[in-house]
Amino acid sequence: MSTSDIKLIIYIIIFSIVLYLSFKLLNNNDGELAQVFYDNKVIKTIDLKTNDIYEVEGYNGKIKIEVKDKKIRVIEETSKLHLCSYQGFIENKNDVIICLPNKVLIKIVGDDNYDSIAR
Amino acid sequence: MKKQLFNKTEIFFLSSIILLILFLYLFINVIDNKKTYTINMFYMDTYINVKIYEENKEVLDELDKLFEEYHELTDRYKSYEGVVNVYYLNNILKQKEEIKIDKKLYNLLLYGKEMHKKTDGNVNIAMGNIIDVWKKYRDLKKGIPSDEEIKNVGSTNINDFTLKEDKYEKSSNVSLDLGAVAKGYVTELAALHLEKRGINNYVINAGGNVVVGNKNKGTYKIGIEDPIKKDTIFKTVKIENKAVVTSGSYERYYEYNDKTYHHIIDPKTLFPSDTDLISVTVITDKKAYADVLSTYLFILGYEKGYEYIKNRDEAEVIWTLKDGKIKYTKGAKYYVD
Repeated sequence: MSTSDIKLIIYIIIFSIVLYLSFKLLNNNDGELAQVFYDNKVIKTIDLKTNDIYEVEGYNGKIKIEVKDKKIRVIEETSKLHLCSYQGFIENKNDVIICLPNKVLIKIVGDDNYDSIAR
Repeated sequence: MKKQLFNKTEIFFLSSIILLILFLYLFINVIDNKKTYTINMFYMDTYINVKIYEENKEVLDELDKLFEEYHELTDRYKSYEGVVNVYYLNNILKQKEEIKIDKKLYNLLLYGKEMHKKTDGNVNIAMGNIIDVWKKYRDLKKGIPSDEEIKNVGSTNINDFTLKEDKYEKSSNVSLDLGAVAKGYVTELAALHLEKRGINNYVINAGGNVVVGNKNKGTYKIGIEDPIKKDTIFKTVKIENKAVVTSGSYERYYEYNDKTYHHIIDPKTLFPSDTDLISVTVITDKKAYADVLSTYLFILGYEKGYEYIKNRDEAEVIWTLKDGKIKYTKGAKYYVD
């Protein structure tokens, strides 16, 4: 291995570290909660940190929502085209899934970093 | 001459990049400074979560012990070896027979008596008998106790037990239930313990009763769950060194003949308190009292509760009324985001 090879390797390693750290820095706005709206009103707030399956009532009937690894998707709903089930997972803040025939909208919001929830 | 791996320009270039990396790394650490250390426990019929912002397993274990100890002392359904607890005082101790009790339980009972006085009898730790009756129906999820049953429920008179020196004595079948005071009391003890060990930055959540310490920068952001639409946050408060506690009819209740029966029993009627309220949220720096005060204000209803609190400098309050209206004390808006 010539010195220029070694140099190249060192440069690549350093470059990767910089890239990785920059991404981590920029990607610090993970969504933590998803809000489910029906007719523009919040009907459910879902914590994306726990994997689970939820059911909400849409205009045409039940809508099944799955949370997996901080991502959320619709797995079952009643509509002609099933557009919102086909959309699959969303995971970033402000991403939405719209189930128009069901008047349901799912939106990822930051949990604004609540320190705790009182009830 | 030996050939150098890097020439001067390259070394300069590399060291700047390494500096940049260090800088980025430090910056990320500052942002990620939210790293928390938590302990989850289940004592006193509730999930308890304590969160601190520095690594200290020892102190978290001490808190576990603290809650466990009070869990055993206040347990109504079980006895523990070598512990004179509430179960023992209610079910094994004979009337007019005095017994020496642990200083910790003694002080807690004394606190209960004090709170009874302070709340004009509305928060009463001697209501075990009637609470049992309602719990029976709540578990069945139907029916309500008959007048006969309520009349013959036994004593709920807090003066039927006495505390003298380190001894407890009862003069009737009075039965203790510390549910209304113990959680707040022990949560404050936990907060004091953390502060004693030099940890001022903490969040304790005991079944929805939140107590926070001082934050180095800024305040803690606490979401308050909507009492009407569950799983939704309806108000956010920013606080430090305070407790936020909600009492309401929306948890632990059952419905029967189109009426809702919840778990907060009004000592005057021996029925679940029936006012214009769904819930009361109290924000105060009196961390143990917060629990008691929210129950008291819930039983009083909005009008009387507002009259009681408005001239006292002890707490800010948010009321949620059955008709959906939300009322505040004047200062409450200062905390609400």
